[in-house]
Amino acid sequence: MPPTKLMSLEEAVDRFVADGDTVYAGYLVVPFALTHEIVRQGKRNLEVVGASVVWPATELALGGCCRRIRSGYIQGALRPGPVQEMMERGEIQYEDYSNQAIALMLMAGALGIPFIPTRSFLGTDYLHLEHAEYPGRIPGYRRHAVMTSPFDGQRVVLLPAIRPDVVIMHAQRADAEGNVHSWGHQGDARWGLWAGRKVIVTVEEIVPTDVIRSDPSRTIVAGFQVSAVVHCPFGAHPGGLAGYYDFDYLFLERVLSPALASREGFARFRAEWIDGVHSREEYLARVRETIGPEMFARILAEPGRTPLAPPNYGYSRTLNLPKVQGETPW
Amino acid sequence: MVNQYAEDYTLAELMCIEAARLLPREGVAFLGLGLPVLSGTLARCLYAPEIQLCTEVGAFDWRPDPPTVPRAPIGIHDLLLNDGAAMVSDMVDALGTVLMGGHVAFAFLTGAQIDKYGNVNTLVLGEYGRPQRRLAGTGGNTEISCLAPQVFVLMPQEPRRWTERVDFITSPGYIDGPGARRRAGLAPQGPNCVISTMGVYRYDTPDGGETGSCELVLEAVFPHIDAETIRALVPWDLKVAEPLREVAPPTPTELAMLRRLDPFQYYLTPGRY
Repeated sequence: MPPTKLMSLEEAVDRFVADGDTVYAGYLVVPFALTHEIVRQGKRNLEVVGASVVWPATELALGGCCRRIRSGYIQGALRPGPVQEMMERGEIQYEDYSNQAIALMLMAGALGIPFIPTRSFLGTDYLHLEHAEYPGRIPGYRRHAVMTSPFDGQRVVLLPAIRPDVVIMHAQRADAEGNVHSWGHQGDARWGLWAGRKVIVTVEEIVPTDVIRSDPSRTIVAGFQVSAVVHCPFGAHPGGLAGYYDFDYLFLERVLSPALASREGFARFRAEWIDGVHSREEYLARVRETIGPEMFARILAEPGRTPLAPPNYGYSRTLNLPKVQGETPW
Repeated sequence: MVNQYAEDYTLAELMCIEAARLLPREGVAFLGLGLPVLSGTLARCLYAPEIQLCTEVGAFDWRPDPPTVPRAPIGIHDLLLNDGAAMVSDMVDALGTVLMGGHVAFAFLTGAQIDKYGNVNTLVLGEYGRPQRRLAGTGGNTEISCLAPQVFVLMPQEPRRWTERVDFITSPGYIDGPGARRRAGLAPQGPNCVISTMGVYRYDTPDGGETGSCELVLEAVFPHIDAETIRALVPWDLKVAEPLREVAPPTPTELAMLRRLDPFQYYLTPGRY
C-alpha cells in the first residue's frame, strides 16, 4: 500500500506552504478553504500566479500574505480597492499577462522547458512593458522576449516557464494516494497541477482507489505528483464546482465582495469567517445562517446529470498475437 | 393589427439584439466575458443554430436548447456550460489548440475602451504604472483579438469608452492603420464590426488591414438616433457610410428571448455593463 496523503487542512498548509513560495491558485474552482487556511496561518511573502487569480490573490494580499502577482486577470469584477493601491505603491509587485500566456507558462513549467512561444501579444502595448518603469515592477525580471522563428520566419513572443513552489486546488474527489478526479471545464488547472513542486488538493469526497482507477481518463493528476489530500466538503465555497454546487452569488454580494473593498472590511471578514471559525463545518453553518437555508439550497447542483453511456475500459484477455518465432529481425 | 416591433426596450437591449442578428451563421464562435455571452447565446437560440459556441475556460460547442435553457451563462465560468457541450477541456485547448491552432471563425468580445482603429483596452485607465484606475484585466481578450480572423465588439456609446487612442492596447484592432497588423506579425482580420448602444460600425478596410484607412465607419444608427448625435460623442472625425442604414427595433420575439436569457438582470441592469 502506498503511503496515505490524507491530512487535515491545517497540517497540509503548515507542512507544504512556506513563506516566500510561489503559489498557483486555481480559479474556475477557487480553492477558498485553502486560501483561508493560508491567511489563518499567517504565511508571508507569497507570490500568487494563475490565469485569473481575483479571489485568492485579493484575499492573500489583504491578509498580508502576498508580495507579488503574475496573472492575466487580477481585479475582475471587484471595485478598485486597497489591492490596487498596494500595487501602485509597489507594496505588491506584479506583471500583467493574459490567460493564454499564464496557461502556456505553466505548461512550459510542467513540461520542464525554460520558455514557450506564443503568437499572442503582438501589436499590443504589453510588448512595451519589458522596459517600463513603475513602482510594482519585479526587479530584474525578464517578462518576455520577441523573436523570429528560425524555422519559418514567423514573429513570436517567448514567455518564461512558471514552476510554482506549491499548488492549491479544489476538486470533486480523490483517493488517499492523491489520484484526483476532476470534471467540467478546467481553466489552467491541469498545467498548474503538473508544474508545481508541491501540490495540495482539497476534495468533496475521498473515495476508494478502485473508484478512481475504474475511470482513469478522468484523473487530472496522478498521486505521485500530489503532496497532500484534504477532505473538505464545500472547499470551493463561495465559488462553484461542477456536480456539487454553483457560485454563491448572494454570499459574494452580501459578504465577500464588500469585505474585499477595504482593509477594515477585510479585517472584519477575517475575524468572523477565517480566524473566527474552527472548521469548515462551522464556516458552512454560518453561511447557511447568514444567507438562509433556502437561499443556500438554491446553489446545490441538480442530481442525475451523469453520462448516458458510461465508457467501457474493457480489453481482450486472449488476443490473437501469434507466438513469436525465429530470430530478432535485426 | 399587431405591431411588428416592440416599443418598450432599452438601447442596451437593442445593442445585444442587433449584434445577434449580425453575427455569422456558421463556424466556431469564441465568446468573451460580459455582454457577448448574453448576445451570443441569443444569436444561437434565434438566428444561428449552427454556430459552435466556445469559451476560453474550456467548453466547446455548448448547445443551449432554446425552449428549456434557464439562462445565458453567468460569465464564462458558469457550470451550465458543461451540460450538453460537445467537448469540455481546458484553457490550453481553448486559447491554444482551438484559437491559435486556427479553428475559430469569429470572436465576440467587449472591453472598457475602444479607439478609431478598433483597438480595445481591458487593463488600465491612464498611465500604466501610475493608473487612474486599474480595470478587470484582459483574461483571454488579448490573444482572441490577436488571433481570431473576425472580431465583433460590443461597446456602449459612452464618451468615456470612445477614445482617439486607447490608454493601453491590450487587444489589437488595426493598431495604427494600414499594414500595422502585418508589421506586428499578426494575420489580417476582418470583416470586423462594432455594435454600440446607438449604432453599428464596420471598418474601412477592404482586405483585412492592408489598405483603406482602417478606421471605424458608422454603418447604421438605432431608431430615433442620427449620425450627428453619435459624431458628437466620438472624439475624432468619425466617418459615416452613405447611405446610412437604420437598425430595426427589437421584435417581440427577440425581446422576450433576450429577457428570458437574463432572468436576474445580471447583464442588463443599467450602469452594470
